[in-house]
Amino acid sequence: MSDTTTTQPVPGTEGVTISRTGEHGAFGGEILTVNFGPHHPSTHGVLRLIVDLDGERIKRLKPVIGYLHTGIEKQAETLRWQQAVVVTDRHDYLSPPINNLAYALAVEKLMGVEVPPRAQALRVIMSELTRIASHLVWLGTSGIELGAMSMLMYCFRERDTILDMNEEISGFRMHTSYIRPGGVMADATPRFLEMLAKFVREMPKHIDEYEDLLTMNPIFRSRTIGIGYLSAADAKVLGASGPMLRGSGVSWDLRKNMPYSGYENYDFEVAVDDACDCYGRYKIRIKEMREAVRILDQGLNRLPDGPVNVDDRKMLPPPREELETSMEAVIHHFKLFTEGYSVPAGDAYVAVESGRGENGCYVVSDGTHKPRRVKFRSASFVNLQALERMAMNGMIADMIAIIGTADTVLGDVDR
Amino acid sequence: MIADNLIADRGQSAGDDWITVEAANVKAALGALKDEGFRLLVFLTCVDHLADNSRPEWPGRYELVYQLRDMEKLRDLRVRAFVDGDPPEIDSVADLFPPANWDERETYDLFGIRFNGHPELTRILMPDDWVGHPLRRDYPVGGEVVEFSEEHELWQTAPDKA
Repeated sequence: MSDTTTTQPVPGTEGVTISRTGEHGAFGGEILTVNFGPHHPSTHGVLRLIVDLDGERIKRLKPVIGYLHTGIEKQAETLRWQQAVVVTDRHDYLSPPINNLAYALAVEKLMGVEVPPRAQALRVIMSELTRIASHLVWLGTSGIELGAMSMLMYCFRERDTILDMNEEISGFRMHTSYIRPGGVMADATPRFLEMLAKFVREMPKHIDEYEDLLTMNPIFRSRTIGIGYLSAADAKVLGASGPMLRGSGVSWDLRKNMPYSGYENYDFEVAVDDACDCYGRYKIRIKEMREAVRILDQGLNRLPDGPVNVDDRKMLPPPREELETSMEAVIHHFKLFTEGYSVPAGDAYVAVESGRGENGCYVVSDGTHKPRRVKFRSASFVNLQALERMAMNGMIADMIAIIGTADTVLGDVDR
Repeated sequence: MIADNLIADRGQSAGDDWITVEAANVKAALGALKDEGFRLLVFLTCVDHLADNSRPEWPGRYELVYQLRDMEKLRDLRVRAFVDGDPPEIDSVADLFPPANWDERETYDLFGIRFNGHPELTRILMPDDWVGHPLRRDYPVGGEVVEFSEEHELWQTAPDKA
C-alpha cells in the first residue's frame, strides 16, 4: 500500500474515493488508489478494500475490516456457559447451528460429556440443512453480482423452506440456538420430519435447476473460469479452508478427516476440484449441496430413537413435570437458572466444517460458571487473507467474482 | 518432537496435546515444529489470566496460544507461552505462518500484546483511534455510550446533563 506521504487527494474533491499516488504503472499511466466499500453490496457485508490500480489491473489490495465487530467474544465472557450459546449464533449469521455445534462440542469436550445418538443425528441434520441454506445464499447473491439476476429468487425459495424447518424445530427462523451443550433444545417434531422428507425428495431437482441456469451459462462461465487463481500450495500456506481449499484440489474436509458428532457413520463424498478458480469453487459448492442432501437422507432414515439430551441434572434442567413432584428437581432447576453450571478448569478446541471452512471454537475455563475466554476461529477471517493473492494482477471487475466465490461472511470475519 | 530444551512443560487438556515454551523461544519452537510437519497455524490467540484462581500461580498474566496442525499425520498441537509486562511483548511468527499476520494484529488490538517484527502491527477490528484493549479482563463491559442511542444524543448535545 502506498504510504500516506505519497497519497495526495485531488484538490477540491475531498470525500471522493480516488486518490493519486504519483507512481507510474507498466504502461506509463498513473497508479490510482480506489476506495471500494465499505458499504458496497457486492462485499457481502461491510468490507472496505483499498485497491491500487494500474489502468484496470490490480497492483495492490488491502482489505480493511472491523466494521461489523460486535464484541461477541467479550460478551460470551460475561454470560454463563449455557447463555453464551445465544451469542455464538450471531457471528457467522448464515450458519448459526454450525456455530452452536462448535461451541457445544468444545464445552462438552471440556466437561467430558457425550450426547446421546439421537442428539448427534439431529445435530448432523441441522448442520447439513444449514450448509445448504448458506450455500444457497452464496449462490443467489453471487449470481446477482455476476449477472444472473434470477438466481436469488430460485435460491431463496428453497432457503425459505429450510428456515421454515428451523422454525418448526426450534421456534426461530435464523438464530436458532438449537444445539446446546448437553444436547439439543428439543426433539424433532413429526411435522419437522415430514418437512425434511419432502425437502430431501425435492431438493435434488432444484439443484438441477440451478445448474441449468448457471453451469453452462456463457456469461457466468466467462466471468469465473480462470479467474481468481489460487494454487494448492498457496491455499495451504495461507491457511485457507473449506471450498477455497477444496477448490484448489486439496481433499480436506473436517467431516471426513477429523470426524465429529458421528459424521464417520455417514456415507458421502468430499467435493474436490483442481480448477483452482472461481468456477471450481462454484462447482464444489453445488456438489456439496448434493452431498448434504445425501447425508440428510441417511440421517432421516437412520434417525435413532432415544433421548436428545444428556441425563445430567447438574447440566440441564429437569423436565417440567418433575418440578411438581420432586424437591430435588426444584433445587436443580433453581441452581441452574441462578448460577448455572461450572466447567472444570482447562481449555479445549473443537473444529467443525461450516459452509465456509474450518469454524472452530476454543474455550478456556477457570472452573467457574462463566467462560474465561471463548475464541471463534472463523474461516472467513483466514480465507479473506487469500484475497490479495487471488486478485493480484487481475481486473478490477473480476474482484467482484473473487470476493463472491470466496464466500466470506463479514460478521464472521469481525465477530 | 522438538528439542527438549525448548519445552518448559507439556501435558494434555481435554484430550488436546499441548506444550509450553518460554516466550523468548516461541519463534525457534514454532519454526522447529513447522519443519516437523505442523505446517498450518489454525489460530493464534491470547488468554488473560488476571485474577484467575484456578491455579495458585500463573507464570504470566497473558497466555499466548498457538494451535498447530499437521494435515498429513492428522495431529494437533497447542503451544503456549506466557508473557507479562506493560506492554507485553513477544516475537512475531507472521513470517513463518502467513495466517498469523491478521491473528497477531487482532491479538494486539484486543489484548495489547506487542509482536516484535510484525510487518504492520495496527488495530484491525477496533477503530484506529480506540483507546484500550477490549478483551483484557480489566476492561469494563458496557462502559461505552451506544452510538445513536438517546444517551449518545445527550452526550453530543448537552454533555453537562448526561
